[in-house]
Amino acid sequence: MRTEYAIQADGLEKIYRTRFRGREIKAVSNLTLHVPEGVKFGLLGPNGAGKTTFVKMLLSAVNPTSGSAKLFGKDARDPEARRPVGYLPENHRFPTYFTGRGMLDFYGALSGLDALERNKRIPGLLELVGLKDWGDVRIKKYSKGMLQRLGLAQALLHKPRLLVLDEPTDGVDPVGRREIRDILNGLTGTGVTIFINSHLLSEVESFCEYVAILKSGELALEGKISSLIAGRGYRVRASGVPEAALAEIRRLGVSILPSADAIEVQAVTLEQANTVIDKIRAAQGFIESFSASSSSLEDVFIRTTKSEKAA
Amino acid sequence: MNEALRRSRASVLAALIRDTFQEARARWLFWGLFGLSTLLIAIFLFVLRIDIVQGAISIMGIAPTTHQVDIRKFVNISYAVVSIVLYTWGTFLAVFASSGLIPSVLEAGRISLLLSKPLTRTMLLAGRYAGNVLVIAANHIYLICSIWIIIGVKTHIWELRFLLAIPLSIFIFAVLLCVVVLIGVVFESAALSVMISVALMLISAILAQRQFMMKLLDSEWSRQLWMACYWIVPKVYDLGAALRQIILHEHQTDWVTPLWTSALFGMVVLSGAMYLFQRRDF
Repeated sequence: MRTEYAIQADGLEKIYRTRFRGREIKAVSNLTLHVPEGVKFGLLGPNGAGKTTFVKMLLSAVNPTSGSAKLFGKDARDPEARRPVGYLPENHRFPTYFTGRGMLDFYGALSGLDALERNKRIPGLLELVGLKDWGDVRIKKYSKGMLQRLGLAQALLHKPRLLVLDEPTDGVDPVGRREIRDILNGLTGTGVTIFINSHLLSEVESFCEYVAILKSGELALEGKISSLIAGRGYRVRASGVPEAALAEIRRLGVSILPSADAIEVQAVTLEQANTVIDKIRAAQGFIESFSASSSSLEDVFIRTTKSEKAA
Repeated sequence: MNEALRRSRASVLAALIRDTFQEARARWLFWGLFGLSTLLIAIFLFVLRIDIVQGAISIMGIAPTTHQVDIRKFVNISYAVVSIVLYTWGTFLAVFASSGLIPSVLEAGRISLLLSKPLTRTMLLAGRYAGNVLVIAANHIYLICSIWIIIGVKTHIWELRFLLAIPLSIFIFAVLLCVVVLIGVVFESAALSVMISVALMLISAILAQRQFMMKLLDSEWSRQLWMACYWIVPKVYDLGAALRQIILHEHQTDWVTPLWTSALFGMVVLSGAMYLFQRRDF
């Protein structure tokens, strides 16, 4: 029976203690986060926000100080809970004595695939990540991008229901980044939950449906990206507006951005935007466009992480 | 379901053992050990080009009527000496060779991926441990069997007790490997694990002189302390001595006690390593 959430973290906390003085460092604090099955979820946060610690607690590489983590309803500490999980760690170090094929074979065996199944799937996966001709080459000869794609193949080998990717495009050139994104896009609609931990906001914005932002180990913001970045104001683009009318418009408290042969007025409310339009029309100016403006995920991120208190 | 789970666990264990072999090969440990063993065998072959039987007769001045008995005794002494050399040499080399195989698996970026797989930490460490023991066992079997065959062919005296050096060397290495694992888990240092394991071997030889030391030490507490240390530390020296006595068909001292106390030491240390490994964050 399938559960509603792929990831269920409740009150998760991690406190590190320094070895000699025993000073406490709170890496993650009372974090509750539920990731529904089948969605593309991005985890964001500045450096040291606790993102990687959180991911490692989910995968039992780090023992939580308190709280609980579940994967598909099973306690994350139970090895069986990790069977449907594919993971690509940040700064991975695949043993360089492996060939690409050997590496996939080894991790496939650890994921519980039998030899027959591994032999069947490995060639297809090598082809999928563009390493068909590199399967028998030692991975010490691979570039960073190739290693990343091989790591992705490793994570996909056992057909996971949850894919956890920690900085999947880190150190990868734009072409490689596109290739990785294409592979991940290919999983859309297959029911696989994709959980990405990344500092590349544009990447998360373009790929994910949901996002959570961590700040100082706490959950600062969580929600659907489309609702987080929309409804922030209205933008009016106009031309031929006399200076006197502009002065009047400025007095409404809106911001005016000069643009080539035109101006862009950023209004906060719909009423304000309509007043601006009325004034432009009254001064014989031309309305070129009117749209609801949305802030980018970067704006949301900056606002969230810079605010004094977590939302 | 249980059968499938058991098969899956066996397959994971086999993969971890294979991985240890692969790493030992890639780091040239495997071939290095075999190379050194082959060198030792070659030296041994060269030495035996001297006719051991005639040489012994001329050196010892053995009378013709007693040839059979004395030659057998001489060959047995040779077997005993060689077994001790191999036991010591093999154990030293094995500890040096295997010291890096535990810390390497704990490297950040490697361990986190391994731990994300559906296997317990105990299984991960056990697989690595077993792989390491098997790498060394393969080398010990090659080395000791080769020497046994050479002596046997040369003297026509096939002393089966000499082959006891194989399980005994593997056993004492397995005990010392527990220390390597513990140090690896706690400090992730190959050098430190070699230092401590070799120190234990040397300390074992010193502590084994307990009868002599009991006469030298004047206070009761120091004698008790000496004996306590003797019982705690693995009996590398005592087991070597027992091997020699067995090969020489001598009146045997108690070899079972050193065996089980060393095994107990290994089990306690390995359990400690497993416990600390469970608690560590990576």
